[in-house]
Amino acid sequence: MSALAYPSPLTDLLAISLVGAAATFFAGKWARWVALTTAAVSLGIVIWVMVNFQLGTAFDYQFVQVVPWLTLSGGSGGIGVNYTVGIDGISLPFLLLSPILTIVSVVYHWNETKNPAGFFGLVGLTNAGLFGVFVSLDILLFFAFWEIVLIPMFFLIGHWGGPRRHYASIKFFVYTHVASVVTLVALFAMVFLGGWSSMDFGGSISTAQVAALDTKNIMVVPQVLLFGAMFFGFGVKLPMVPFHTWLPDAHVEAPTGGSVLLAGMLLKMGAYGLIRIAFPLLPYGHVNAEPVVLGIAFLSIIWGAFLSLSQRDLKRMVAYSSINHMGIVLLAIALWTQLSVTAAVLLMFAHGLVSGLLFLLSGSVHHTYGTRDIPSIGGMNSRTPALTTMLMIGSLASLGLPALVSFPAEFSAFLATWEALRWWVFLPLLGLVVTAGFYLWMLQRMAFGPPRGIPDKATDLPFNEMISMGLLVALIVLYGILPYLIVQFIPHAAIFATQCFHGGSTVCTSTP
Amino acid sequence: MSFDIPSIAQYTPEATVFIGVILVFMLDVAGIRSRAIIGGATSIFLLLAFLQVLADLGSWPLQGLSTLPAGLLGTQNGPVIFTNFGLIFQGIFLLSALLVALASVSEADGEEVPTFYALLSLAALGMLFVAISADLIFLLLSVEITGIATYVMVGYTRKDRRAVEAAMKFYIIGALSTAISFFGASLLYGAYGTTSLTAFRALPANSSLALVGFGMVAVGLGFKATLVPFHMWAVDVYDGAPASVSAFLAAGSKKMGLFGIFIVFVAAVRIFASAQGFALYLALGALAVITMTVGNVMALEQTTMKRMLAYSSIAQAGYMLLGIAIDTPAALAGATLQITADVLMKAGAFIVVGAAVGLGVGPLITDWRGVGHSRPGIGASFAIMLLSLAGMPLTLGFVGKFYLFFAAVEAGGYFTLLAIAGLLNSALSVFYYARILRYMYMPESTGSATVGAHPLSHSSLGVGNAPAAPAWGSVRDEIRGTGSARWATVVGIALLLLVLGIYPTPIIGAMNSAAQQFLTLGL
Repeated sequence: MSALAYPSPLTDLLAISLVGAAATFFAGKWARWVALTTAAVSLGIVIWVMVNFQLGTAFDYQFVQVVPWLTLSGGSGGIGVNYTVGIDGISLPFLLLSPILTIVSVVYHWNETKNPAGFFGLVGLTNAGLFGVFVSLDILLFFAFWEIVLIPMFFLIGHWGGPRRHYASIKFFVYTHVASVVTLVALFAMVFLGGWSSMDFGGSISTAQVAALDTKNIMVVPQVLLFGAMFFGFGVKLPMVPFHTWLPDAHVEAPTGGSVLLAGMLLKMGAYGLIRIAFPLLPYGHVNAEPVVLGIAFLSIIWGAFLSLSQRDLKRMVAYSSINHMGIVLLAIALWTQLSVTAAVLLMFAHGLVSGLLFLLSGSVHHTYGTRDIPSIGGMNSRTPALTTMLMIGSLASLGLPALVSFPAEFSAFLATWEALRWWVFLPLLGLVVTAGFYLWMLQRMAFGPPRGIPDKATDLPFNEMISMGLLVALIVLYGILPYLIVQFIPHAAIFATQCFHGGSTVCTSTP
Repeated sequence: MSFDIPSIAQYTPEATVFIGVILVFMLDVAGIRSRAIIGGATSIFLLLAFLQVLADLGSWPLQGLSTLPAGLLGTQNGPVIFTNFGLIFQGIFLLSALLVALASVSEADGEEVPTFYALLSLAALGMLFVAISADLIFLLLSVEITGIATYVMVGYTRKDRRAVEAAMKFYIIGALSTAISFFGASLLYGAYGTTSLTAFRALPANSSLALVGFGMVAVGLGFKATLVPFHMWAVDVYDGAPASVSAFLAAGSKKMGLFGIFIVFVAAVRIFASAQGFALYLALGALAVITMTVGNVMALEQTTMKRMLAYSSIAQAGYMLLGIAIDTPAALAGATLQITADVLMKAGAFIVVGAAVGLGVGPLITDWRGVGHSRPGIGASFAIMLLSLAGMPLTLGFVGKFYLFFAAVEAGGYFTLLAIAGLLNSALSVFYYARILRYMYMPESTGSATVGAHPLSHSSLGVGNAPAAPAWGSVRDEIRGTGSARWATVVGIALLLLVLGIYPTPIIGAMNSAAQQFLTLGL
């Protein structure tokens, strides 16, 4: 029962978030309310979708809608481009994360004074573009949304960012744009070499129709080349060492809400592209490239951790720690087993919540203390206990304390690594140790000890910042104690992604 | 529609435009100098012709790639042939003239007004003939009708010394390029004993004389299309000419040159397919890549808006040339789509620049500081045009580029390199388009270009040195500054870019079928 042409709730989701974002630009002083309502309504739709999501039935995308859009001249008899949307358990966590982080950003910036309508409109537009990326099952549609996300983020960084915002915004835009055009060529080549008759990579698939997407007839060498191009394109977004240099600039200069979406969602687009397109559709490619992918993953983990360790700026430290975490995600994807893909998706969900919280905290530290320089602040707990508590929760969550959301994710990632690679697991674990080290060292210097560098007017968190951080903390704890709430969706889709393509395992053809 | 109509009815668009020209001359004799009347009349005639073309296109079935009836094809009358591909280009040419005619209604009245509109219509008429030509001599003569009309248009204000200088330069280089073209045509006649484009295709590659002949024809047309290395005039002329004329040159007459190259080279690559075929593709591909690279790199360091747009226009010509350099139905359809997008983007952008003085904005890129806030309507429209030029999704510029690069990858092998070169260029162009967006919407930003130091800076106009955060302006002020016709044209173009960017289905369908038919059946 795939490829139904009934209106999908996902279409409603896209339409409402786009219209809401457009309305926000013209809403004047009501902009924040319009933005909040739009994000809340879209969250409501996502929750409705989660409730109605059928767990563990057929291997199939759900809530699919296919509408013919264009026919391009090419192949034999033209190549169809459709508006195809649908989700599975891998895209669902991202769909949930996006409106949550949007709400958090809007609430955090509730008292934004610099052109608030523009700010909230752009945040809403980013959210709408992200929805598009995670529900698209057609290459053109996916790529279009992928690029759309860049535009509002460019303006968010460039207009509302820190002192070097102009440099950072252009660097971000050009860097990621170059990466996406490389991806685009590889995607086209895959369509032609695979002899596809449409650009759908999912909407028309059920287990019986997997053959329609067969890329087995692409020879090994072209597959490796295509995989390499896609890996580069998606990897820049991830970001992986050595293509990570746009990230610290963009993150540090972005306004707090922009950083939250950037770290929470935009980085995930790269990993999502790998899970959704590059790995399943180019099996020879990823098998042959595995040593390189693993090497880059290890490098990102270790290098990211040591880079973080050496930072003085709190926000920069958090930004570099994202490289470390996304390295673990890349490692889990590279192993390409059911467990590891599940771990990767869960880890991204966790990282979205945790890094969101940490960026909010960096913003609050900055405007409370006038600086983010770690060594020049001390004894925060004496003046701003709420802020300090949040900072501790965020740091502990990020270093993977049990009962907080990162723990089950990182644990399963390392378990999968042990299963596949045995003693190599100690290499990423070393990164984990360094991560724990720099967070605890930061806490030791900033939170405790004699008060240092505290301005007289320093006050604790305002109400709206408290709410937005509280929301994230609540979710971090909730999903840390009951990871099942989000994990239940993932493994089934992970089997499909890792085993069902190319006629794969018999598990795919049996109907449960 | 039935196809046994008397052949004279097929000339309806040309006849309509021609009647418009006569009418403008009569109004001139009657002493009427009002832009509202003359511009309005010209626009109506151009619109009628455009609607006629659209109606012909509308009679096609939308779906399917090669399901077009032989229809308009096959009615060759001596040097004239009606093809579906030509019909689409007639629509494109009329659109460019129509947009310029509409927008320039808002400019000042004066004694040159009838001249301007008569020349505009005449140029459009020449382009309509280009689109139906089946003979090299007829093609080059039609190009020259447009050429001569545009030489005069560049200098029509007479009092502006820069414009007159630009007109002189344009005229001399144009005459030279035409001479080279005709020389090439005579070589071809010497080689084959015919100048019929329809006959060329069936001929064997029997002489290197023909190769030289095609090369020289291409040089002449390449001047019009501003391909590197024949692009040097373009920047000075676009810069010196009145903005509405620049709009017409970039949107209209350049596309005519490209169309000419398409129809001549479809014949040439068929003739030389066996012998030097691949070398010819290689040469065209190299020309395309060099054109886009030079255009983009030069655009990076421009400080005035008009010169930046001129170089960006050169770069765009490189993308469009890919259509023939790849020579597949998909590539030609993609190029046609990109040409359509570029007509809208370039006409729109130059019209916006023409309106800048009325808005109190100087000629420098830095003068556009804060315009996004102080002129919300024009600012947003210009931003959409720039995003479309950069190839961002939701705009027609994205679909056109996407299709072109898609076609290049489809052709495979060496052509994939063209796609990569084009995409990297596209990424490079993001630099300078994003820079303008940054000035428009991030007014406090500091750029490397120094404000006020440039001799052209209109610092007396105030906006060039705008305060940190200008207040949001009202749309009514903005319409007063630009004139309602020009404002409506600009906003209309931006909306059209968005609507066609999201739903290009009908025009892509038409272009697919026409391109396929053109390549398989030929002229």
